Amino acid sequence: MRGLTKLGVLSLGLAAFLQPACSGDDEQASQGGGDRLVCEGVNTVSAESRLLTRLQYDNTIRDLIGLDLRLAEGAFPLENTAKGFSNNARAHQASPLGVEKYLEAAESISAELSSDQLGALVPCDVASADEACAARFVTDFGKRAFRRPLTEDEAAGLLKVFKDTAPKYGAEEGLRLVFQTFLQSPQFLYRPESISVATSETGAVQLGSYEMAARLSYFLWNSIPDDSLFTAADNDELRTAEQIEHQARRMLEDPRARAVVLDFNRQWLGLDRLTNVVREETPGVDSGMTFDSMQLPSAWTESLERFLGEVVFDGEGSVHDLFTSPVVYVDAELAKLYGVDAPAEGFARVELDAKQRAGLLTQPAMLAMFSHPDQSAPIKRGVFIREQVLCQPIDPPPPSVDQTPPDPDPNLTTRERFAEHTSIPGCHDCHKKIDGIGFGFENYDQLGRFRADEFGIPIDASGEVLEATEERLNGKFDGAVELSNRLADSAQVEDCIATQWYRYATGRVENDADGCSLQQVQDAFQASGGRFKELLVAITLSDAFRYRRPGSQDGAQ
Amino acid sequence: MTRDEKDIAARKAAAGRSHDFTSRKRATLRRRGFLKGAGGLALGLPLLHSLEVEADTPPPIKRLVLMYNPNGTIEDAFWPTSGGETDFVLGEMLSPLEAWRDKLLLTRGIDLKVTSTGPGGPHQRGIGGLFTGKELQKGEFADGCGSLAGWANGQSVDQAYVDHLGVVTAIPSLELGIRATAAEVRSRIVYGAPGSPLPPTNDPHQVWSRLFSGIAGDPDTRLVQFDKRKSVLDAVQGQFALLNRRVSNEDRQKLEAHAEMVRELEQRLQLAANAGGGGAGSDACAKPPDPGVLAVDDENEMPRVSQFQLELLAMAFRCDLTRVASLQFSTAINDIRFPWLNSMGQGHSLSHAGTSDPDAREQLVKRGKWFSEQLAYLMSMLDAIPEGDGTVLDNTIIVWCSEVSAGNTHSHNEMPFLIAGGGAGRLKMGRYLQYDGVAHNKLLVSILNALDVPVDSFGHVDFNSGPLSGLEA
Repeated sequence: MRGLTKLGVLSLGLAAFLQPACSGDDEQASQGGGDRLVCEGVNTVSAESRLLTRLQYDNTIRDLIGLDLRLAEGAFPLENTAKGFSNNARAHQASPLGVEKYLEAAESISAELSSDQLGALVPCDVASADEACAARFVTDFGKRAFRRPLTEDEAAGLLKVFKDTAPKYGAEEGLRLVFQTFLQSPQFLYRPESISVATSETGAVQLGSYEMAARLSYFLWNSIPDDSLFTAADNDELRTAEQIEHQARRMLEDPRARAVVLDFNRQWLGLDRLTNVVREETPGVDSGMTFDSMQLPSAWTESLERFLGEVVFDGEGSVHDLFTSPVVYVDAELAKLYGVDAPAEGFARVELDAKQRAGLLTQPAMLAMFSHPDQSAPIKRGVFIREQVLCQPIDPPPPSVDQTPPDPDPNLTTRERFAEHTSIPGCHDCHKKIDGIGFGFENYDQLGRFRADEFGIPIDASGEVLEATEERLNGKFDGAVELSNRLADSAQVEDCIATQWYRYATGRVENDADGCSLQQVQDAFQASGGRFKELLVAITLSDAFRYRRPGSQDGAQ
Repeated sequence: MTRDEKDIAARKAAAGRSHDFTSRKRATLRRRGFLKGAGGLALGLPLLHSLEVEADTPPPIKRLVLMYNPNGTIEDAFWPTSGGETDFVLGEMLSPLEAWRDKLLLTRGIDLKVTSTGPGGPHQRGIGGLFTGKELQKGEFADGCGSLAGWANGQSVDQAYVDHLGVVTAIPSLELGIRATAAEVRSRIVYGAPGSPLPPTNDPHQVWSRLFSGIAGDPDTRLVQFDKRKSVLDAVQGQFALLNRRVSNEDRQKLEAHAEMVRELEQRLQLAANAGGGGAGSDACAKPPDPGVLAVDDENEMPRVSQFQLELLAMAFRCDLTRVASLQFSTAINDIRFPWLNSMGQGHSLSHAGTSDPDAREQLVKRGKWFSEQLAYLMSMLDAIPEGDGTVLDNTIIVWCSEVSAGNTHSHNEMPFLIAGGGAGRLKMGRYLQYDGVAHNKLLVSILNALDVPVDSFGHVDFNSGPLSGLEA
């Protein structure tokens, strides 16, 4: 997206009324090595209504009714993803199966609510609720369910359910059916972007305070606004950057923000791939270790999630820590593999040898995930770093290529076998960008263990970064620790992480119109020294988060 | 979802008919048997067609199953190596289907010509175009050549049949997955509308609950349940209408598609609520035991998951809970192994190895045979359900294919299309037909025609001239 120069020029025609200015300037180069955009005024992007993800649905129910039922996670269809993210506005859509599940869930949740619990949501005795009481329930509960006050028509439609059913089935059942209607209404299931009129001054629509409250709460908590946000919205106090920043910083201290970071990381790193991986000893290798390979995937997942929680939330919370921390969390099973004392129960935080472990890329879970069942996978590791850490996508190999990993051979190291495989003319052009990175991780086997040799042959973990956008990343290195330290202070890596977060926050893969907002976010992230909380705050303050392009509707009222 | 007014009107009429609950129909229903115990959102035993049983010549119920396995096939183990149109000798991969020879139609020489258009890599274009006959949209999935592919740009053939049928069963269609993980273009085979893939359900327990739990068994309770649901869903429709006034055109399309799904769900619930009202009799349709909790992502469980999915599919047909299904074995570009076959190569890598690698070939042939066994099992179950003068299998068309013809070339020519079943009285089965590189859109037209859907084109406009010759009896 740094190559926006030409596109910026293209948009100039519209700039007069949509976009004050967003054009590129070839002369300036950012630290990340790309072109900088010259941005003025408010830079708006069209925003699309977004359907709640399963996680958001479950969190929303929890915060709305106080019961943590988590019905959606296992029952609703998986969201369609875009660039690995499940909250993409275009990809994640309703389906006939999903619509059945919304009905089922609304009924189940209603059934889970005891009369007393329902009573807590209703401003009168549920058994003898009259129409006036039901109307207040619609107004009060509705404001939290729809994240804004209901319109008169909306309230009337919901109250009608009570009026139609309470005489037949009793007041309590009438209220329950209103409740079920809320849970299947689009104002609940979606985060709608209303059409509204742009100010003539900026050509942009600034989000109203209720909309901003919901944007903040679904970005930083994956759930509905809390009382404090609602109060701020009631007073229209989510308009200025100061007001928004104040709320964002408050919200980041809440455990719900931790869960969001976890959700992001799962998708950015593709952690679902760890589920049920099978990792075994290489044939012919007797490590003398016994382990239960069925237990490893969940242990690795938890170990990595604990690590990520620590480096993002505790201490400095920076990219530097993410790529340098030697901390690994182990349970009894993992402790055996990594040669540390087993904790009495659960997981223990240990610091491994800093000469062998440096941050995310040397986390056992990551190394195991990017492996084959019985050997390491230097190519998978290289591709992952290129695509997800450096944001430099690699084309897949041509179809005629045999992609079968070569079988382990006691006379050759993994590197020798794979190098043979990829040194073929024609393959080399791409593979030098992949293998130069991936071979640097040969000190780690498919179980994430450090190794100094294979079959008695010393490991060669030398590597070379080629064709990174940021010049200082390029060059030779020896081993993953040295590479990680180089990446830990990289503007390109920070920009890439900021881009991934921006996709998650906006529910979009960035397009031309996002260029200036994304640049705002990347600049702020770099200025903060790569601190994650600052990155998240910067996103809430970006133009793309606070404004939208005015939508159009044929025959709109 | 783009559906024309006429279609909606037709379905409303169908729902209206089912709502018209006469004593004659009650009698019919009592004769048929219904699900004992609690029913699903579905339940739905004897549905609308049962009301037509007493008509002079009831039209046969026709069913469609799409079956998919990833990464192509091994040409000389899939196609007959000798014999002609009727005395063909099945290839090694298809040998488990020997007993069903006369219910197979092997159509060789059919190409996914549509894959020559649109963005995407070969697996993406293949899986997107296979059952839609359309190219991919531009989108956000990375592939080769720097282009970005999105979802398929058309409705798939099974969903066209669902629309043609209208609201006649409690469930519109069953999308069944067996380790069909991920949610990208490479992992979706059927589409409700352009850009709207339908997600498969990988967990047999969830399929079971969708089919067989959730609707009250007692008729009066069931009607009350529907009355409440109707109040709720009608009000939900009202909320959609109100919100639609406040959003942009693009959002409105999305919301209207959703609202249409809610509308259709209500019609299907109504159908299930009314039709389930009888008592008794036949043991043809029975609520199977709950498959329970299975480790559906565990490679060792794949055979068991497959068996449950096939059995649930057969029972869904037996109970007429749906007439349309798809069976998706994993996804394009997967890493899966088949430990129970002692085949430990990883799917996609293995398929790239090519036919000259004897070990890779042997593993791929073993896997192909296993897929054939799954198909044979499904056929045997459908053939065990009597219907009219024959069996449910006679009235079912199963179409099996992959997204490329060979993993090591990514070719979209000479696709491994196999049609199984009785041809729904239209296709002449038990044959091996060879074509000279015709577009598969023609085959999709023929499938729809055999299901009595009167179309003369399907999918991309450049490849859709009429049906495939020589298929019909």
